[in-house]
Amino acid sequence: MPQFFSNKRLILLLVGVIVLVALIFFSLRDRDQANLPEQIVKDVVGFGQQLFSKPAHYITDLIDDVDSLLNTYEENQRLRARLVEYAAVQAELSDVRNENQRLKDIVGKEDDLRDYEPIHASVLARNPDQWEEKVVIDRGETHGIQKNMAVMTADGLIGKVVLTTPFTSTVQLLATQDPDYRVSALVTGETEAFGLIEGYDTERRELILKRIDSAFEIKEGQKVISSGLGGIFPKGLLIGEITEVTTDDFGLTKQAHIKPAADFAMLEHVIVAKRTSTAVDGSDAGNTGEAMDKTAEDGKDGDGS
Amino acid sequence: MIRLLIPLVAVVLFYVEPVFGLFSPIEIGGELRFLIPRFLIMFLIFVGVYYSRQRALVYAIIFGLLYDLFHIDIIGLYAFLYPAVCLLAIWAVKHIHKHIIVVTLITLLLVAVLETALYGFFTLIGFIGMPFGEFVPTRLLPTMIANSVFLVLLGWVFKSLANRRSIQKREGML
Repeated sequence: MPQFFSNKRLILLLVGVIVLVALIFFSLRDRDQANLPEQIVKDVVGFGQQLFSKPAHYITDLIDDVDSLLNTYEENQRLRARLVEYAAVQAELSDVRNENQRLKDIVGKEDDLRDYEPIHASVLARNPDQWEEKVVIDRGETHGIQKNMAVMTADGLIGKVVLTTPFTSTVQLLATQDPDYRVSALVTGETEAFGLIEGYDTERRELILKRIDSAFEIKEGQKVISSGLGGIFPKGLLIGEITEVTTDDFGLTKQAHIKPAADFAMLEHVIVAKRTSTAVDGSDAGNTGEAMDKTAEDGKDGDGS
Repeated sequence: MIRLLIPLVAVVLFYVEPVFGLFSPIEIGGELRFLIPRFLIMFLIFVGVYYSRQRALVYAIIFGLLYDLFHIDIIGLYAFLYPAVCLLAIWAVKHIHKHIIVVTLITLLLVAVLETALYGFFTLIGFIGMPFGEFVPTRLLPTMIANSVFLVLLGWVFKSLANRRSIQKREGML
């Protein structure tokens, strides 16, 4: 049997494997920013990807259009039934909005966690191996996108920006297994309850809202929105609806399953929410680590003096 | 002309993969099935078998690296797996047979190996917590079926392309 590898080849292969393993470990570390070669590759590949994604979107849009054309009659009937209701709601909304504005003026509150500037973007590519739920969109730093911004569709929140380059950004979807991925959420209702979206139930295809104070009453069917308290997301983006309430593993807090409002399967056009009120770095932006280092250093200094 | 055709096809396949990725997962029988396009690696295996091992490896490393940088953000994963799969395929074909049906079957088998290796890697680093019993019906089998359809449709095109290029090269040498 001929030798599979000569000695020289074997050494080359070993060196190659070692380099690659080192690279894997380098890139698995938490990195805040893509480095320059990475950014260049991303932008160049992203540009090429546009040439393929745009026609694909065009075709799927066309199919959607035909599809909705077929449903026009039914939809028209349904919408007409709701039109009456709509006028009343519209009137009430404008009244409430005016009152809200007036009250805000009285209090002298200018910033609102709810205000955001929408940046429209198209999805260039979805990670084809689909292990990590990531999509790449065609807007980047030059369009004002920053890390950790909220990304949504017309239906609701879908994820957040994890990596930016000048012309593209990578969005990690809510449907991820990553334990570091958290979104501060708010259960709306008579009394508001806060919690953190942590994790995804792949079997039920539902998000899990954890760390809800057990003093709060929450029920199935209540809507869950982003709370805006994480520092980056604006307040009031719809996340989903509660389907089941349980207590957590230790029985200390409640947790709930949430059916996401947005569909993660077929993403084409998304909106990145750029918060208008000052954004602070989320705890996941490495600040906690820095702060801990700092306190550790301070502690050391304290001991010395 | 044919000289440029092989890298061109590779680039097109590289870009087409995520476009097909947009259509997955599909819901069949109440469960989400993930169809993962692996067009590029199948093409590279054909290039390696019917044209040149060295070329296939170079393309595998370059496209693996691009794949890592653009999609995965873990540099070195595909850059390692693509050439490794290529090498395995060439080695296997050399020891079995070069007939297109055999090559097709080996290619599909190696796509399954690639998929399983990725599953193992992501489980190892804790990105996913999917039991193996769920991985096979929701990911592995749909992926195999989708890719085999692709390969049956286009495998002979890949083969003739690689063959023509290698004939042309031999003539050029003479």
